[in-house]
Amino acid sequence: MADLEIRDLHVRIEEREILRGVDLDVSRGEVHALMGPNGSGKSTLANTLLGHPSYEITEGSITFKGEDITAAEPHERAHAGLFLAFQYPVSIPGVSVANFLRMAINAKRDEPIQVKEFRTQLQHAIELLDVDRSFTSRHLNDGFSGGEKKRAEILQMAMLAPDVAILDETDSGLDIDALRTVAEGVQRLHDEQGLGALIITHYQRILHYVKPEFVHILMDGRIVLQGGVELVERLEREGYDQIRQEVGASA
Amino acid sequence: MTRSAKRSGQVPEVAVKPGRHREATLYHALAGAGAGNGRTLEQLREAALKSFETTELPIWRRSGFWTTSLQSLDLDALETAPMPSEPGTVPEVVTRTLPDRPHAGRIVQSAGSVVHAALDPALAERGVILCSLQEAFQDHRELAERWYSKRLTVDRNKLEAANAAFWTGGAFLHVPAGVVVEDPFEIVYAIDGPGVAQYARTLVIGGKTSEFRVHEYDLAEDFPEGQSLHAGAFECYLEDGARCRLAQLQDWGRGEVYDCSTRFVGVGRDAYCHWLPSLLGGHLVRQHLELAVSEPGGDMAFRGLFFTEADEHLDAFAVDLHETGPSGGDVHWRGAATGESRASFEGLIQIDPGAQQTHTYLQIHTMMLSPKARLDAIPSVLVSADDVSASHGGTVGELDEAAIFYMQSRGLDRPAAVRLLVEGFFEPVLAQLNDEPLEDLIRTKLAAKLASAREDIETYATSR
Repeated sequence: MADLEIRDLHVRIEEREILRGVDLDVSRGEVHALMGPNGSGKSTLANTLLGHPSYEITEGSITFKGEDITAAEPHERAHAGLFLAFQYPVSIPGVSVANFLRMAINAKRDEPIQVKEFRTQLQHAIELLDVDRSFTSRHLNDGFSGGEKKRAEILQMAMLAPDVAILDETDSGLDIDALRTVAEGVQRLHDEQGLGALIITHYQRILHYVKPEFVHILMDGRIVLQGGVELVERLEREGYDQIRQEVGASA
Repeated sequence: MTRSAKRSGQVPEVAVKPGRHREATLYHALAGAGAGNGRTLEQLREAALKSFETTELPIWRRSGFWTTSLQSLDLDALETAPMPSEPGTVPEVVTRTLPDRPHAGRIVQSAGSVVHAALDPALAERGVILCSLQEAFQDHRELAERWYSKRLTVDRNKLEAANAAFWTGGAFLHVPAGVVVEDPFEIVYAIDGPGVAQYARTLVIGGKTSEFRVHEYDLAEDFPEGQSLHAGAFECYLEDGARCRLAQLQDWGRGEVYDCSTRFVGVGRDAYCHWLPSLLGGHLVRQHLELAVSEPGGDMAFRGLFFTEADEHLDAFAVDLHETGPSGGDVHWRGAATGESRASFEGLIQIDPGAQQTHTYLQIHTMMLSPKARLDAIPSVLVSADDVSASHGGTVGELDEAAIFYMQSRGLDRPAAVRLLVEGFFEPVLAQLNDEPLEDLIRTKLAAKLASAREDIETYATSR
């Protein structure tokens, strides 16, 4: 049984059905890529997995580590070990990165984390993400550049050590150096901590740095193709339109 | 509108249109015929008494829905020179609220009497004076009289007149030229129950190149029935090159406390003032806050925050006045409203003729936290000089649901996320207090107010 099991998931937002029966399994230690054209429902899936209140699940279920979390609160999903790296991280003025992280870590513990332990973890994450130490005393995402925001997402991921992380277009808006840093961070968390990752992307370029074992293609709210890394290469060659025609014809 | 019309005290004629009741259009700088300058204490008390006897309790009418009326106050039921319920003892609300921290001196007035006054002896030796204003008029008459009511009027409304006519106790602080004090002077006004009319009077003088901090606390014990009044007059004058950081924590608790106060800070040549009032509640609070750069080279930072809850009513008018240039100013206020409270904040930048090379900016940010609360934030700029920069900005916001979801996804539950968001909202102002004990006290108070409004905030958030 996979850690994260998505079964026949139908999701609506404002009366429009976006996901129309998605099945997907992601386990610790696995790297999955979810690809699809704009509007296919990728971000809807990401937000739904973390319980965004605007997305209504009309059918299907989400199970995480054997528990049905279809109706769980977002923070309960986080405590269970799910993480979402946002496509557009929100700025939280007045709250420093370090303080926010301490609160987030303490939120799922009975005893607050020891200062020394927190510092050690933070130092490790800072080195991993190649950011300046002063970064963590800045207000979270407030006035951050696009690259800094994405680094801050992965920094939080490293600190919170989830079992399964969903990365929603983490590669968008990044220059090549930032992309490499972010991608290597993800790869190392996978290698060192056994992170399971669902990398959602429109393009292929992040997949040059983080190698997925499983590739899924989402179109019109359904997963229409599944395979290995060869699917990425095929997509690069043929484009979404070719695949759409093919699966449309077979449907 | 011409400057001379305002100085002579006529209400300037303005076209009838929304906003005609704005404070800014009716505003007169506090100097002028009503101010004390040149008159003795006795003459001022007499003039104020006349005004008190011939005027009604004030009403401020504003644009739109806004009216601030003191007419529900039963003044006759209050003691004019009230005694504290326990004479000579510092009220419990003071001992339990004030942070335990080093201070340069402390003066506490309960009801109409000063019940505690203490000053670091080393500072007394260097000429610092901290005592009741009554004592100052006995022991340092010349000094007190030179500054007393220099820029405060005594007759703009009945409660201002009552303050000038009837004040007792009071606080007087003089930091002589060249004296630098690290720890704050604490000035405390406390109301320990109903039936009190506290006419609070504070005079602070910073001598040339002095440097010091003043923390004022306005506190009341919660009481279930009856009314009390705090009508305050605060004035602070900074001489050449003086630097002062003023902070005020006002929280009148849950009793029916009315607060109608005027505060004036005058910044002299090359002097600097950082002023940060935090208005955290009261049944009905009306504040006129004025920070004036009166001589060339003066600079100021005028920060503030407010939080209203339940059925509280706050009406604050803050003026950033530049009488000469070059001068600098920076006004930044933040406020939030919960429950059925009403809060109106009007901020005015006024640059007088000849105040060239003034650079100032006014920003007001507000956050609505309840469907029944009302919040009004009005910036105004009146400029009568051509070589200046003055502008304003601001936001009126609600809880950012995207930010709440973001924090939830990292493991904070919804109430914690909301609290963090609102606390974070105040942080850009609060952090500028640059004084950890007071910052922490205000943070704690804000957190308690948020906790008690939690249900209300939740209803509002989910209804949208």
